[in-house]
Amino acid sequence: MKGYRHKLVIAMLLACVPLDGNTAVNVAENHVMESSEVVLRAVLKKNTRCLKCHSREKFKSLDDGEQMSLQVLPQAYLSSAHGEVTCIGCHEAIGNRKHPSRKTNIAVSSQREYSLQLNQSCRNCHTGKYTRYEGSIHASLVSKGNTIAPLCTDCHSAHAVESMAVYKPVTGLPCKNCHADIFDAYAASVHGKARKNGNVIRAGHIQAPVCANCHRAHDVTAVAFGDNLKAECLGCHEDVKLAHDRWLPNAGLHLDVVSCAACHAPVAERRIDLQLVDNITRLPVGGKQGHEVLQKQLEIIDQADGNIDPLRLWNLVRQCGQQDKALNITLRGRMEVSSGAEAHRLARSGLAVRNCDSCHQSGSEPFEDVVISIIRPDGRTLHYQADKEILGSMASVGSVSDFYVLGGTRVKLLDILLLLAIFAGFAIPAGHFTMGRIIRKKESKGGQ
Amino acid sequence: MSAIYAAQREQNDLYINPLPVRIWHWANALGFVLLILTGLQLRYADLLNVIPFEMTVKMHNWVGFSVIANYFIWLGFYLFSDRIKVYHPELNARRFFIRAFRQIRYYGYGIFKGEPSPHLVRPYDKFNPMQSITYQIVMLLVIPAQFATGIMMWDIKRFEDWIALLGGIRVVDTIHVLIFIFFVSFILVHAYMGALGHTPSAHFKEMFTGYEEAGRKQDRQRG
Repeated sequence: MKGYRHKLVIAMLLACVPLDGNTAVNVAENHVMESSEVVLRAVLKKNTRCLKCHSREKFKSLDDGEQMSLQVLPQAYLSSAHGEVTCIGCHEAIGNRKHPSRKTNIAVSSQREYSLQLNQSCRNCHTGKYTRYEGSIHASLVSKGNTIAPLCTDCHSAHAVESMAVYKPVTGLPCKNCHADIFDAYAASVHGKARKNGNVIRAGHIQAPVCANCHRAHDVTAVAFGDNLKAECLGCHEDVKLAHDRWLPNAGLHLDVVSCAACHAPVAERRIDLQLVDNITRLPVGGKQGHEVLQKQLEIIDQADGNIDPLRLWNLVRQCGQQDKALNITLRGRMEVSSGAEAHRLARSGLAVRNCDSCHQSGSEPFEDVVISIIRPDGRTLHYQADKEILGSMASVGSVSDFYVLGGTRVKLLDILLLLAIFAGFAIPAGHFTMGRIIRKKESKGGQ
Repeated sequence: MSAIYAAQREQNDLYINPLPVRIWHWANALGFVLLILTGLQLRYADLLNVIPFEMTVKMHNWVGFSVIANYFIWLGFYLFSDRIKVYHPELNARRFFIRAFRQIRYYGYGIFKGEPSPHLVRPYDKFNPMQSITYQIVMLLVIPAQFATGIMMWDIKRFEDWIALLGGIRVVDTIHVLIFIFFVSFILVHAYMGALGHTPSAHFKEMFTGYEEAGRKQDRQRG
C-alpha cells in the first residue's frame, strides 16, 4: 500500500516538470516504471525479512486455547494481488513498534478477534468497497456478534489475496463455504450449467451470472425483501415485460408480485409472503426504521400459540395506525419460493410454470403456506408463520388490502353470500309461485 | 316489413319499448349471463373447469367491454330522447310512495287474488314505482360501479392510484363480487317477474316486438 503511494508521489512530481506533450508522458511512464521497480525491490527486501521467519511453520497460542498459524507461504503471497504490498502495510501494529517476542507477547483472544482487528486495514486502500461492505447483511451480522459472518479475508483469503474476477466461479466461489446448499442448487440451474459450459446460454447471450452478479459482491443485501433481485434479473433479461405481455394478462402486476423464481424454478415449493411495508413510503418495515415495537408485537403473537390468525393481524395493523400515526403500515403480498436454495433452481424458460390454474384457484399450493415478514435490525428478513385462512378471511379485506389473487384468495363469507343469492334467486320465485297456487286453490274451494 | 307488422297489430297496441331499448336489453341480458358464467369459472376454477382459465379471462374482458359499450346505447337513447320521462313520471314524493306501497301490496297479495295491477303501462309511464326506483339505482349506481371495478381489475397497474384511493385491490374486488352476487339473484328474480304478465310469455314477446298487447289493461304489469 505504501508502495502505491510512493509511485503516485513520483508520478505527481514528474507531472509538474514542464515538458511538452508526448515527451512528458513517456518520460513520466519510464520514471514510474523505473521507480516502481525500485519500490518493488524495497518491498521485497522488507517482506523478505518478515518471510525469513514467517515462511516457516509457526503457531501462536491464543487466549481461547486455539493455535493460530503464523506461516505465510512466500510463493502464494508474492504472486497474490498484494504481492507488492509490504507486510506492515496491513500489520501496522507490528510495524510501528518492536516486533513482539515471547516476553513482549501480544495477547490475542481468538483468531476471529484478530481477523476483526485487521479487517479495518483493508479500508485504507479499498475505501469504496469497504464502505459498501459496511452496509451489507454480512457486516450487519458481524456487528451483531455473529462469529461466522464473513470478513474480508474469509472471501479473499489473508495472504493469497486474489481479486474475485480471477476465481473459477463454478468450483471456487467463497460463497459456497457458507451457502453450500444454495450453491449446489445454483450449480444445477440453467445459470450454473451455462457458466460451467463456457458462459454461453445461447447465441448472443454470453455471460451467465455467478453469485455476485445478482447478490452483489460487497453490499450484499437480504434479497427476499424488496425488488433488488428482480432488478438484477431484468438487468440481463431486458425484454421480460414484452415477453410476458404477449400472453400474460396483467403482466406488469405479475412481475411485481410474483418473484421470478416462483415460476422459473418450476420444482420449487412456493408460498405467500406478506411483507409489512410503510403505507406512505412503501418501504419495508424493519429495525432500521425504528419499528421494533411492531416486531415485538409480532413475536408476542407468534410465541403465544404459533400461527398468526386473521383477526390478530387485522388488529395489529389497525392498532399501529391508532397508536402511532407515523406507523402507518400495510401488507404487501408476494409469491415467493419457500427457501433460498429452491430460489436458485432456475430452469430454462420453456420449463417455467405457465399454467394459470396452479395459482388461480382456491387451495393451490402457494396458498397453503403463508408467512408475514419484517426486516430485522441486522437486515435479515424474519418470517412469522401465519394461518393460511388469513387470505380468505373478511378481515383480510382491511389488513391485506393490497394483495389479491383471482380465485386464489377467495373470501369465504362472499362464497356463502353467493350461495344464499342463488338460493334466494330460486326460492323467491318458487315461494311466490307456490303462494299464488295455494291462495287460488283456497279461493276456488271457498267459491265452491 | 315494419309497416306490415305494425298493420297487423291491434289498433290499441302500445309501443312501449323502442328498438334501441330492445337491442340494449337483450344484448345486456346475454352479456350479463356470459359475465356471470365466466365470472363463476374464474372465481371457482377449483370447482368448475369447463373453459381454460386464460381463455375465460379473455372472454370475461371482451364481454365486459361489450356490455360497457352497450350501456352507452341505453344511456344515449334516454339522454337524447324524450323517453327519459319513463323514469320520472311521478315527481310528487308522497304520491310516489303511495303508488309504491300499492305495488308492493299487489305483488305480495293482490296478484294472487286476480286483482288488476295498480300501474297502467303507457309509453311514457312504463315502469311501476318499484321498477322505476330499482332500475334507476341499478343503471346509475350499481352497473357503473361494476364497470368501474371491472375496468380497474382488468389492468390493475394502470389504475393503481384509483385502486389505492378506494382502499386497495381487495376492496375493489369485494365490491365487484358483491355486485356480481346481487346480479345472480337479480337475473333469476327478474326472469320470474317477467313471466307475470297476462300470459307467462307476454312480457318476453313485448321485449322482442316493442308492443304491449291491447285488451289487457287490467293486468298490465311488468317484470
